[in-house]
Amino acid sequence: MYALKRVGQAAVTLLSVITITFALIRALPGGPGDAIRAQVMQSGGSSNVDMTQLNALVESYTNVDPSTPLYVQYWDYVTSILQGDLGQSIWYGRPVSEIIVQALPWTVLLLTIAILLTFAIGIVLGAAMAYAEGTDFDVGSTVVSMLLNSVPYYIAAILLVYFLSIQFGVFPQSGNVSSGLEPSLSLSYVGDVLYHAVLPVASLVITGFGGTAITMRGNAIQEIGEDYIRVAHLRGVPGRRIAVRYVGRNAILPMYTQFMISVGFMFGGSVILEQIFAYPGLGYYLLEAISTRDYPLMMGGFLVIAVAVMICVLIADLTYSRIDPRISDDDAREAY
Amino acid sequence: MSERSSTFGPADESAADGSATQWEVYREWFDIAVLTPMRVAWSDWRTRLGSLIVLFYLVLAAVAWVSATDWGPTIVATPSSGQGPRLTGAFQDMAYPLGTNNLGESILSAIVHATPAMIQLIVAGAVFSTVLATLIGVVSGYKGGAVDRVLTTVTDIAMTLPGLPLIILLAAILEPRNPAVIGIILTINAWAGLARAIRSQVLSLRDDSYVEASRVMGAPVSRILKDDIVPNVMPFVLINFVNSARGVIFGSVALYFLGILPSSNPNWGIMLNSAYTSGAIYSLDVLHWLLIPMFAIILLSFGLVLFAQGTEKLFNPRIRARHAESIEDDTAPYQE
Amino acid sequence: MTTMQPTDVSTVEDPIFEVRNTSVSFDMARGESNVLDSVSMDVRRGEVLGVVGESGSGKSMFASALLDAVVDPGMVTGDITFHPESGEPVEILGLPEDEIKRIRWEQIAMVFQGAMSSFNPTMTVGAHFEETLSVHDRPVEAGMDRARDLLSELYLEPAQVLGSYPHELSGGMKQRALIALALVLDPEVLVMDEPTAALDLLMQRNIIELIKQIAAERDLTIVFITHDLPLVANLADRLAVLYAFEFVEVGPAYEVLTGAKHPYTRALLNSTPNLDTPREEMQPIAGAAPDPVSVPDGCSYHPRCPLADERCVEEDPPLDADDPADDHAAACHYVERVREEIPLTLQEVRRHE
Repeated sequence: MYALKRVGQAAVTLLSVITITFALIRALPGGPGDAIRAQVMQSGGSSNVDMTQLNALVESYTNVDPSTPLYVQYWDYVTSILQGDLGQSIWYGRPVSEIIVQALPWTVLLLTIAILLTFAIGIVLGAAMAYAEGTDFDVGSTVVSMLLNSVPYYIAAILLVYFLSIQFGVFPQSGNVSSGLEPSLSLSYVGDVLYHAVLPVASLVITGFGGTAITMRGNAIQEIGEDYIRVAHLRGVPGRRIAVRYVGRNAILPMYTQFMISVGFMFGGSVILEQIFAYPGLGYYLLEAISTRDYPLMMGGFLVIAVAVMICVLIADLTYSRIDPRISDDDAREAY
Repeated sequence: MSERSSTFGPADESAADGSATQWEVYREWFDIAVLTPMRVAWSDWRTRLGSLIVLFYLVLAAVAWVSATDWGPTIVATPSSGQGPRLTGAFQDMAYPLGTNNLGESILSAIVHATPAMIQLIVAGAVFSTVLATLIGVVSGYKGGAVDRVLTTVTDIAMTLPGLPLIILLAAILEPRNPAVIGIILTINAWAGLARAIRSQVLSLRDDSYVEASRVMGAPVSRILKDDIVPNVMPFVLINFVNSARGVIFGSVALYFLGILPSSNPNWGIMLNSAYTSGAIYSLDVLHWLLIPMFAIILLSFGLVLFAQGTEKLFNPRIRARHAESIEDDTAPYQE
Repeated sequence: MTTMQPTDVSTVEDPIFEVRNTSVSFDMARGESNVLDSVSMDVRRGEVLGVVGESGSGKSMFASALLDAVVDPGMVTGDITFHPESGEPVEILGLPEDEIKRIRWEQIAMVFQGAMSSFNPTMTVGAHFEETLSVHDRPVEAGMDRARDLLSELYLEPAQVLGSYPHELSGGMKQRALIALALVLDPEVLVMDEPTAALDLLMQRNIIELIKQIAAERDLTIVFITHDLPLVANLADRLAVLYAFEFVEVGPAYEVLTGAKHPYTRALLNSTPNLDTPREEMQPIAGAAPDPVSVPDGCSYHPRCPLADERCVEEDPPLDADDPADDHAAACHYVERVREEIPLTLQEVRRHE
């Protein structure tokens, strides 16, 4: 029942995102119609371009024929997107979906590693700080966490590039894989991919784990003070099990919202990060599209990022309702 | 909980006796909602240090503003090319204490004169997102029912939208110049997380006995919201104001760094961008050009993080010292 | 401050606990505070001992000390000897961690005042029982059968309760489930610290009745800690009254209730709200309970005592009876005057009936 409701909500979100991109394309001055017209005029060199021809051209790029009524345009746009047709990239001259299919796995790779590491390090450190509350270790880690949390990830990225690749040459400065390596599941290929992912992932993790650690610390300190922890000790439950099953689990569960926001934040952040590292992921192409005014690619990239975030949130929501027995309580609120 | 109810309790005595003037009512409200929590927060070293850092930037902004006027003394010269020799290192020439860039602009001048616009940005963005979030969170939490479902769905959608790409799209299309507009674009969906958090706060508040009492006595909803609910979520809102300010810093610097916002406004992100694209990253000698704007960004956001952390324990029942509890084990439970 | 001299001989027959000179202290910013001040007390095997005291009198500390479970940074000192049914007496305090773990819950179990939050909110109630059985190396199957029996005895539906998460149960159900959890390893002693504090009056009485039944059926020794004197009145065999971190009176429940020898106990009886007591006859105790950092010299009750004189300020009265054969003792210099000068209002009412 809950799952059904959640999936329905996700569908509404998807439709909203599509509508937003449609509105951006349609309503904003200097939108794709004008941009394509300008390009055609430039290449055509004269003003005797046929209007119907132009409309057809716009349609082939954006799936929207400007001469039809608005609701037809909207319908065409939505149906073609739901069929996986995101239009044609003006700059690259290829279908947008093709570019995205190529780029998406790289972004997902970076972000999956980054999110897992951020939360793993943050949670373990935060729990350790909570158990050592008030010690030098706790105070020191808190200050370091806050300091790292104050550094924007792109600044960390620039500094990492500066020190670790330009000055000391430990890691590659850009790209996703060494040129000339054939994609395969061989150790050397996978190793090379991971090697290239180290700096982008590190920029997100170094600046991200501090916030998680501080939240975890606060939650865990409160859990440690709960009565059921004391009772569990008296019942003879081993300390390790209490730390994991009691303190850990109950302190991590409320961090779920933070996790959701992090996923969206990191996907968004990939735009800058991939630019700095010239990493050919989704964000990289999105920014390229913006600087070349390649509207179909821009909207397609945005749409796919939004959908990716949506799917992550949906998965998180559905798993959360399974692991926290108290979730159903929240819905049973009557109205005044 | 006892701390919280005594500090921010609904004891609105002057309002209750009916003889108080409107001014006194507001002063009372301000005292409960703002002054008292602030006074308690000041006892934490993090709040003190954070406030001092933020104050330092306000002074910088004032200095820049006075220097830029016709009547005021020029304390720090406005940045201009050829102001001094090119690429002077930091701390080498007292006339340019932080060095100069490749155009001979004093870096100190550029940093100081970027501060007023930065603060405008931060205030506009933070005000926009907190006001919107408070409005939506309070109404949706208090009203419940259909209103709540609609607002929650909207909030969830806004939360799922990838923030930075959306901001980049809007900024690229709208090309805003007014700092206030930029600030609003930067927080276009940042309000969602806060609105969700405020909603759940309100949900627990509205079942509290004194709110229940007001309702039973037939107080109008607007009055209950104003007198009972809003003062109680106020400290929480204040902290999040600080958090969204940090988000504005990260976002604005990112957009300027990427060259998406017009570079006519002075900004630390533009300094980063020009240093980065001019190859400061390849040379150890001109590293100051890159590091000093980074430092300015990190210090300001560190100040804001410290401030938020120092004040958080005020209202967050999850963060409570366990030692304080254990000693009162024997006495506390029956007095609550 | 001098307190009573410990007797080497036990004051009760067949003791299960012999507590001697046991103190609990905390280092606080304001100075060291003794929240239990060198108390001695015996618990007889199979009895229900009611320990009564106001909030902040040290009664929770006494309960925790019996299991060496005082929360950090509290320090326990003294001797607490536990006499198991079979086997050698055990010195509880200072026992190595693995040995005290075997005694806790297997021989001495505890039900907390925080019953509402004594279960992990993300584990089913049943999982708590299974976990307890398995960490104590008991056969889980047989143990769970026992748990089901206990739950039915407490008028709960075993299958439903075991499969529920704590938040799905009402306060009274959680409380009874916790009692069953405390008894699942078949302990000899059950220490209950304000087990009914958060429940409504009716549920409190019900649970007391159930405890009474279970104690009788299982030869269970119960140490029942409460601030609510009338609540334990018909449950306890003996009553011990704590004031300012020391025991001021101990004796058979009926004798203490009807012939209290200590001014504090009498004041406590008079201040107790009771449906039968006319409102105007209820007398709250004047003054405030002492702060653990600065307990008054001499008899700690003297600032609030109507009988107090010079002697009470200077000399701390020992807790003993005039007649060594008497099992009802009070720590007061003027036991013989108490009865005359502090009449019991409750008794007056009873006599009317």
